Amino acid sequence: MQSWRRKSLWLALSASWLLVLLRVFPLLRLAVPGGPWASAPQGWPRWLDAELLQSFSPPGELPEDALQLPHAPRGGSCNWEACFDVSKCGAGGLKVFVHPVAGPLSAAHRRILASIESSRYHSASPDEACLLLFLSLEVPAGECSPLPQQWNGGRNHLVLGLHPAPCPQNFQLGQAMVAKASPTVDTFRPGFDVALPLLPEAHPLRGGAPGQLRQHSPHPGVPLLALAEERGGWRTAGTDPSVCPWDGRCEQDRGPEKTHPEGALPNATFCLIPGHHPDALHFLQALQAGCIPVLLSPRWELPFSEVIDWTKAAIVADKRLPLQVLAALQEMPPTRVLALRQQTQFLWDAYFSSVEKVVHTTLEIIQDRIFGASAHPSLLWNSPPGALLALPIFSTSPSDFPFYYLQLGSHPVGRFSALIWVGAPGQPPLKLIQAVAGSQHCAQILVLWSSEKPPPPRWPETAVPLTVMDGQRKVSDRFVPHRAISTDAILSLDAHSSLTTSEVDFAFLVWQSFPERMVGFLTWNHFWDEAQGSWGYTAERANEFSMVLTSAAFYHRYYHTLFTHTLPKALRTLADEAPTCVDILMNFLVAAVTKLPPIKVPYGKQHLEARPPLVPGGREPPPAARDCINQMAAGFGYMPLVSSRLRLDPVLFKDPVSVLRKKYRSLEKP
Amino acid sequence: MCASVKYNIRGPALIPRMKTKHRIYYVSLFSIVLLGLIATGMFQFWPHSIESSSDWSVEKRSVRDVPVVRLPADSPVPERGDLSCRMHTCFDVYRCGFNPKNKIKVYIYSLKKYVDELGVPVSNTISREYNELLTAISDSDYYTDDISRACLFVPSIDVLNQNTLRIKETAQALAQLSRWDRGTNHVLFNMLPGGPPDYNTALDVPRDRALLAGGGFSTWTYRQGYDVSIPVYSPLSAEVDLPEKGPGPRRYFLLSSQMAIHPEYREDLEALQARHGESVLVLDKCSNLSEGVRSVRTRCHKHQVFDYPQVLQEATFCVVLRGARLGQAVLSDVLHAGCVPVVIADSYVLPFSEVLDWKRASVVVPEEKMSEVYSILQSIPQRQIEEMQRQARWFWEAYFQSIKAIALATLQIINDRIYPYAALSYEEWNDPPTVKWGSVSNPLFLPLIPPQSQGFTAIVLTYDRVESLFRVITEVSKVPSLSKLLVVWNNQNKNPPEESLWPKIRVPLKVVRTAENKLSNRFFPYDEIETEAVLAIDDDIIMLTSDELQFGYEVWREFPDRLVGYPGRLHLWDHEMNKWKYESEWTNEVSMVLTGAAFYHKYFNYLYTYKMPGDIKNWVDAHMNCEDIAMNFLVANVTGKAVIKVTPRKKFKCPECTAIDGLSLDQTHMVERSECINKFASVFGTMPLKVVEHRADPVLYKDDFPEKLKSFPNIGSL
Repeated sequence: MQSWRRKSLWLALSASWLLVLLRVFPLLRLAVPGGPWASAPQGWPRWLDAELLQSFSPPGELPEDALQLPHAPRGGSCNWEACFDVSKCGAGGLKVFVHPVAGPLSAAHRRILASIESSRYHSASPDEACLLLFLSLEVPAGECSPLPQQWNGGRNHLVLGLHPAPCPQNFQLGQAMVAKASPTVDTFRPGFDVALPLLPEAHPLRGGAPGQLRQHSPHPGVPLLALAEERGGWRTAGTDPSVCPWDGRCEQDRGPEKTHPEGALPNATFCLIPGHHPDALHFLQALQAGCIPVLLSPRWELPFSEVIDWTKAAIVADKRLPLQVLAALQEMPPTRVLALRQQTQFLWDAYFSSVEKVVHTTLEIIQDRIFGASAHPSLLWNSPPGALLALPIFSTSPSDFPFYYLQLGSHPVGRFSALIWVGAPGQPPLKLIQAVAGSQHCAQILVLWSSEKPPPPRWPETAVPLTVMDGQRKVSDRFVPHRAISTDAILSLDAHSSLTTSEVDFAFLVWQSFPERMVGFLTWNHFWDEAQGSWGYTAERANEFSMVLTSAAFYHRYYHTLFTHTLPKALRTLADEAPTCVDILMNFLVAAVTKLPPIKVPYGKQHLEARPPLVPGGREPPPAARDCINQMAAGFGYMPLVSSRLRLDPVLFKDPVSVLRKKYRSLEKP
Repeated sequence: MCASVKYNIRGPALIPRMKTKHRIYYVSLFSIVLLGLIATGMFQFWPHSIESSSDWSVEKRSVRDVPVVRLPADSPVPERGDLSCRMHTCFDVYRCGFNPKNKIKVYIYSLKKYVDELGVPVSNTISREYNELLTAISDSDYYTDDISRACLFVPSIDVLNQNTLRIKETAQALAQLSRWDRGTNHVLFNMLPGGPPDYNTALDVPRDRALLAGGGFSTWTYRQGYDVSIPVYSPLSAEVDLPEKGPGPRRYFLLSSQMAIHPEYREDLEALQARHGESVLVLDKCSNLSEGVRSVRTRCHKHQVFDYPQVLQEATFCVVLRGARLGQAVLSDVLHAGCVPVVIADSYVLPFSEVLDWKRASVVVPEEKMSEVYSILQSIPQRQIEEMQRQARWFWEAYFQSIKAIALATLQIINDRIYPYAALSYEEWNDPPTVKWGSVSNPLFLPLIPPQSQGFTAIVLTYDRVESLFRVITEVSKVPSLSKLLVVWNNQNKNPPEESLWPKIRVPLKVVRTAENKLSNRFFPYDEIETEAVLAIDDDIIMLTSDELQFGYEVWREFPDRLVGYPGRLHLWDHEMNKWKYESEWTNEVSMVLTGAAFYHKYFNYLYTYKMPGDIKNWVDAHMNCEDIAMNFLVANVTGKAVIKVTPRKKFKCPECTAIDGLSLDQTHMVERSECINKFASVFGTMPLKVVEHRADPVLYKDDFPEKLKSFPNIGSL
């Protein structure tokens, strides 16, 4: 009984509580709209008749626009569709003719001319060309270089000036595009003009200085900020940048700070650049130094902004919010700083470090406009190795290139094509074919018959298809992008190479981990010969190597396209004349793209064939071949080769464990 | 009886340890006090409620009841838009002030009905879409109702369609807004600009410095970096549900579905159809439809009737041709259907072109080349077409499908300009979710071999094995490239030995004392680490020679983004148990290296300490195990690359046991490490570890070559 009473008491109590809650809370909500309970903003009202509102365009109007033909573009202004006649560029794409320049040429101009002539788009005849290039000269004020004869109202013309010269604005540009250094935002026509970087007078023609960054993350002792000075130098602020905003008027307590002379590169994490016109040189300096440029509302268009995603390498901030920008820089997460720093180096190296790169990038941008749908995807422009080295004629799908597998989450095709080059002796490499065909990863064997002798009518039966192709008796012929190659990986072989199946298998597995590099068996090393003052290389076995022989190496088939389409003709001719040069050339090319050494895998016969088969006679390469490394270095403008001190072996290679456990036991046989 | 039993069970749970009598007493006392409190509160706030209750009822109003504003005929008209406006000239960023979240604040003016002097309305009060747009902004994080804190202002005057408004009077209405100030920081949304006969490509309403989010800009009127180009919303996006269709070839190669096409262009299209037959389909209005069928939703070709927009899903490419206006709502429908738009509208600024990479989702063809469109499209490889189809659909889903999506993307673009250091990246705007998931962006992507002179910092984690520790220090100090040695003293109960007792070595030696005995202390990004390369080494790894360590550093220089270590381990899928298994036997493969002796980039210390996903870090500290497996997972996940095992296998004195002092290498330990792998794989949501079959040796390792000429002769000796 008692329990019943208690129960009813509880019930009554809770019921009255419920009542109180229900009654009071809505009242409270009403009572204190601005109070702590109802702090959420009221926002846009929910209209009672929202459903009845009319659409912004009554049905029928949207699809049935009134009919109207496009009106002509406004006079004076131009855009790509209106002012460039793409139909002149036939199937071959871009062809460039340079109007001969009258008058004395400065060194800078000669460099520009030389880089255009070295471009694969260069054409010697104005009739064949679809882009006519007019070099604007910096002449004494007031005078302008006369217009060339075939000016044609500037149609399909590009006026190129590496300086923001006042002259081109004065004469009648007509429909010509303008490529000049740091154009102002107000006059720049996006998608039509090209913004160039402002280059220093002594910018090198080729190669160029590498980026200054020696490590990925900033060194702990490095100052956070460097400020561009008006006179051209840099000033690094002390550890606490907040005491000195960038307006240059720090009155008290500057803290420890240093000024650097003109020309010296800044050593800091961020480089503040006010964004006036003369600062454009600072921008490139910061980029080279790996100091993240922080542009404070620049009035000029950033170089190559049409294709380069500058948000990945620089920060364009508003100078009207100094404290906010400083706070953002100080609190920027290490991950972002790391990414920005690396991107500055990549961009510097890919597009800015030499006059040739700047000019070729300009032409590549115009080529992309002509190509339309088959232009470089943005990824190719904005990640290593850059658009000058990733050609859309190979593919417009980034996953076909060896460089982007990780970014795309994809893999190279798990098989390879063996490409066997049969040179002068004309012996069919039957044993080699059997060894290679024995590999489970082999998809096809291609024999490139380059001998005077006719190929034998019958070939051994193999598990994989074997194709014999007729070569052109030239060594560089082996690096032509043959249509028959159906896989990403190529195993390049010579008729007299000698490999075992497990060597091939293991090397291919290694290549799959490093698809952008060359994986080879026999190595050479290059060195700087102090006595001769030139480069040399040796086939002797050493603790280091920087080249692998293409007589037995895995690499991505893209390098065939690159070899055939980007290398200067002079270098390829050189390789044809001296066969050893072709190995050096291929190694130069891959190293210039990857900036990394090739990879060596174990080779069982090493002790038998210590000297590379391509070198006839003694251990030292012949003088002609010796010289070709120097000619290559001159052709590239620098020495791209990188040395490595390691070899990749199977995990249990020569370990003191039962041979039965080992997968690649035949590699260990003496 | 029964009830009392129940009571006994339940009672103590409510108010334990109290006698019944007292309980009632306390409960009633408590309620009285509370009631009193509430009453006081109500009393205090009551007076406000009278005026605010009218505000409360605002939400229940109808659009027809909004206040009417009469505009005098001579009220000021703003200047025409200034074509030279840029963010740094015409936009007042000071209003955006300091904002820790890097988000702009947007204010919406309240809705008014504007009439001229004669009482004739200036425009429709508000359209359904504009109401949706303002609702979306108001529901977003950008919204503020405090006009003084706002950075961006959105007038509630609806200018989405220029045809529905009177230009001069609308401009006057804009000019009298309370914070107008020549339009500074105001944004106007307009989808259908211009009017007959010349159809301007931007809104004709004079707006001074106001930003224009417009559909149908041409390069002549678009102020790059200031205006925002937006899509023309298609009401069919909401009306029709088109399920996503996988990429691949479709029935028609090229389709044109627009009804109002200039006769010249229609001729061109029909010529294409005549030449290529079945693969091209040119649709037109249906002329002989019975009443009741909506002409908006049907298209005809000769006598064949097609449902629109469903028919778009049958085509690979769909023509989006300019009409009188450049911006066409059909673009939205085409993307919706996963058809690749072929945009033929010279000088058209595509929607959100500031951030979206239209090359990935569309083909732009100059009007002049219209007759060649078929061959241009045919030159595109099939794989690229499929990527474009996917991308087109993704653009619609992310940025076109609703008014809300359009509004938020517009605000995000403006926000990115004001706080550029917090802006979304190209990938965040453009990569569809599937790509975002599958891709890896290596934080150390630059191919860079650090100079040897930099050297490395060795970090020795120790507890109390001083003798062994000193031996490790002496051994490691012989490595030429060592630049600093850091001892992490993980024992709180015991002080490290006197300074004088430590071995004298040629590089600086620092001892860091930790607050807690945690395994993750080994991976803390200590300020003392000045080099990029870090060698993590246990206090009992005395069997590594100086040559081996130096060689390990050389290998790390070639692979600075990987873990480079000595003892290698493998993970295997156990088919019987259906889970991952840890393997330390002599295998032909490796997927992990033990951090008892491993080189890595110091950035991974930062990642381990601050960015380790899920509860892995705590889990490791609680179990006192698997910190090395966690590190292997982390590095592999962020770089997508495998570890590098260096030098042949040695008899390590049970490297696994070093984690926990004195624990022997027994079965339970292995089981625990298998569990770690399963636990981490589930936290990461994937198995990031990569299996490889190679290890790194010196070039001449075990070669038939004079030992004394080898750089690293002392490798692999036991």
